[in-house]
Amino acid sequence: MTADPVGGAAPCCDEYARLSRRGLFRSAALLGATATFGSAVVTTSGSAPAAAATRSARNVLVVLSLRGACDGLNLVVPHADPAYYTARKRIGVPKERLLAVDDMFGLHPALAPLLPLWDSGRLAAVHATGLPAPNRSHFSAMEEIEDADPGSAVRSGWLNRFLGADSYTSPLQGVHVGGGVPPASMYGAHDVMSARNVDSVGIAGDDQWVVDDGRKRSLDLLWRGNAGPLGRTVRSSFAAVADFAPVHAVPSGPRNGARYPQGDLGSAMKEVARVLRGDVGVEVVTVDHGDWDMHSDMGNLEWGRMRSNTTELAEAVAAFFTDLGPAAANVTLVTLSEFGRRVRENDNWGTDHGFGNVMFLAGAGVRGGRYHGRWPGLTDAPDADLLVTTDYRSVLSEVVSRRFGTSSAQVFPGFSPETVGVMA
Amino acid sequence: MSSPLAPSRRTLVAGAGGAALAGAGGAVVHAAAPAAAARSTYAPATYAATPVLPAAQRHLVSRFSYGLTPALAAQVRRSGGAAAWFEKQLRPSAVADGMPSGFGSWWPSLSRGPKELWDRQAQEVEGGWVVMQNYQRWVLMRRTFTQRQVAEVMTEFWENHFNVPVNGDLAFTHRAAYGSVVRARALGRFEDLLLAVTTHPAMLIYLDGARSTKARPNENLARELLELHTVGRGTYGEDDVKASARILTGWWVDLFGSWEAGYRTEAHATGPVRVMDFADDNASPDGRDLTRRYLSHLAHHPATAARICRKLALKFVSDEPSEALVASLARVYLANDTAIVPVLRALVASAEFRGSAGRKVRDPGEDVVATYRALGLKVGPPTQGDAAVNAMLWQVANLGTTPLAWPRPDGAPLTGDAWSSPSRVLASFEAHWVLAGGWWPKVGVTYRRPPAWVPRFPITFRLLVDHLSRTVLQRPSTAALLEACCLATGIAPGERITRDHHLVRWNMHRLLATLLDSPAHLTR
Repeated sequence: MTADPVGGAAPCCDEYARLSRRGLFRSAALLGATATFGSAVVTTSGSAPAAAATRSARNVLVVLSLRGACDGLNLVVPHADPAYYTARKRIGVPKERLLAVDDMFGLHPALAPLLPLWDSGRLAAVHATGLPAPNRSHFSAMEEIEDADPGSAVRSGWLNRFLGADSYTSPLQGVHVGGGVPPASMYGAHDVMSARNVDSVGIAGDDQWVVDDGRKRSLDLLWRGNAGPLGRTVRSSFAAVADFAPVHAVPSGPRNGARYPQGDLGSAMKEVARVLRGDVGVEVVTVDHGDWDMHSDMGNLEWGRMRSNTTELAEAVAAFFTDLGPAAANVTLVTLSEFGRRVRENDNWGTDHGFGNVMFLAGAGVRGGRYHGRWPGLTDAPDADLLVTTDYRSVLSEVVSRRFGTSSAQVFPGFSPETVGVMA
Repeated sequence: MSSPLAPSRRTLVAGAGGAALAGAGGAVVHAAAPAAAARSTYAPATYAATPVLPAAQRHLVSRFSYGLTPALAAQVRRSGGAAAWFEKQLRPSAVADGMPSGFGSWWPSLSRGPKELWDRQAQEVEGGWVVMQNYQRWVLMRRTFTQRQVAEVMTEFWENHFNVPVNGDLAFTHRAAYGSVVRARALGRFEDLLLAVTTHPAMLIYLDGARSTKARPNENLARELLELHTVGRGTYGEDDVKASARILTGWWVDLFGSWEAGYRTEAHATGPVRVMDFADDNASPDGRDLTRRYLSHLAHHPATAARICRKLALKFVSDEPSEALVASLARVYLANDTAIVPVLRALVASAEFRGSAGRKVRDPGEDVVATYRALGLKVGPPTQGDAAVNAMLWQVANLGTTPLAWPRPDGAPLTGDAWSSPSRVLASFEAHWVLAGGWWPKVGVTYRRPPAWVPRFPITFRLLVDHLSRTVLQRPSTAALLEACCLATGIAPGERITRDHHLVRWNMHRLLATLLDSPAHLTR
């Protein structure tokens, strides 16, 4: 017991002490400085054995959920489809204002901050993606998209199944960043972490005055054997908090001149960059961005919710990749929304619930600077949808298989993906 | 997920750890003794002078309040027990409200009309978001201090079911008034509540009913009325949504004008409509009575009965209520013409309710409010920016959401898994810690001084823990709780606590936080 490298703190938390101690030890080693663990003060020279409980991430997948069903037809505009402009007389984006225009498509002008990524081949769009059949309920569609295992009675999210596909069990392998609650995609047997920001990750009261590691031992005792969801979280959080220590050592604030926009998304993406710099084995990050449910006041290029939300999205993603700089070399970001919106505008400068949508992919491994997918053609009719020609799971399968070597069958059981060609 | 260790192994390991550390100069907490001896070391004591309610009564009151306190427990005893207390609470007008005098004027804008609120925002006198934050604070204060606890709990339930988030762009003009409409009907008939909220300007603004047109009926409110507010998915199709939207045309709000709500016959889409088994000729351009008949039909629909009763069971019984319970509550609901109170009576009388103690996770708002109540904090008016009544809202926000701000029409989740994320748990520990220590907020709040937590001096630690368990958690202490308190403070069970003891001088917060961080406080 006294041979314990961190000074003989009692093994209160036997089932996770291994991770906790190593994580702390690793952070101390990285800092080459002094760290505290309960009452024990540890000084290392920085040359201690590199016995890390966390490993470095193989690659990183950031899933950015655009909540409320974003309007893919105005984000990536099919300017060459004549039905687009007849169906959207007021909210349609004029062709001459589009960016990155090709024969068929162009980007909403508010996506301008993403042009450098597009032009350097690191940003792509896949159009006409979505569920196999329309589901116009936000809440049911979100569950369906994030569970992504139709017919199974087990509530497990596709990202959780992905995390469980290897033998690595650290709860830091998957992290939800920002406010609210982690998405359904993260629910499941694999423990995950969540943090509203980096500074909030810690156990209050586990301070330098604690005797004999009593704070954590006390909490452990209170929650040991608790069969509810809180009990499981308390247990996994201990390991996660200890292993998270290197992230605290990463100075806050963006690098490389990155400027995040005001608002929740910018704040969250800034925290994500800091988490990834900490190199604690995070491979999946989820971030939510709302509110894209624009039944009214989407507006046009001069005003409205579409313009402001799109600007925030573009500025936040652009700042994230600028901030990471070379550290973005293994980071792939995907956007996902529960469904798309109708082709024809309504009477309130908005659109009602539709079907097909666009997905953006940015960063490592993306065959960017182009529009992927098969265009089904639009119809200008009162209830016309953008039809889906690419199952969203085909896109995600390509990401997890090309970036991580994880088979689609493990993540999307029973689904046969088609080749999309968006990932190298 | 690891399986829990057997108690004997736990105590053995802890004992060995304590022994190992004793040599390093740490406080000796454990005797290096066999498991049986270790268990007897932490045998709980009984501080009988501090009464607690019987477990079944504690269960009923903690489910239908924002947290038991010694004062509430005394009130329950005076009422003749929890069942009698509950019955009395179902008639809130017969219960003294108990809010501080002058509370009604803490935030004058909560009683301003919609046009005045809009003008104040437009003239940059006061933003709508400020008014809405103050509405959230008003609600938190009511939850913390009103003696009409059951009415308050039910108001929250319905305001969440018919969610109109306080952070909408325009709905702030009518949002506080909307809350009053819900509050007044929280223990009435569901049908009346449904009609009042569906045609209320706050709801019409939020879900676009206010601007729906005859030519292109906006589907937003029409869909959520079916999917979320009444029958639920699986009972209707897309044509039903469209007909539902046509029925609701005509209701409007004079946006950017007077902001008053009204009805425009010229905007109502006439002609036959069918929504599931509701059919109507819809010949009159005044569709108001049609709306009433339609909503009455929906309120009495068996799918609505099942959906509402299932949600009540989720909130008040467990995260997985049985179909049998839901079905029996639905029968009560339909037999009583959608009246809420008979359903609640049937719910608390069920065996499933009685067997569900401690199964519900407290959500962020419930946690912070219960913590203020458990610590007996006194909160004053918002005299300055960092006053406690203002800060309380940020404390809740850190846990993952704020009252009535869930950003989607489905309302904040009622199940424990949603509120058991690591960030929530760590934030709860943080909130308990700063409140137990009285570190923040500092202004506009009165904390109990550490010696006031000790019923008499001297007292053994074991007895003090039992007294505090009875005071803060409203239940006797257990061996596990005593051992946890010993670990957290470095104090032995039999240690004598005097006024000069380090616990009283510097470390009371470690003891209080241990109680607040326990399953007994984080669940209800």
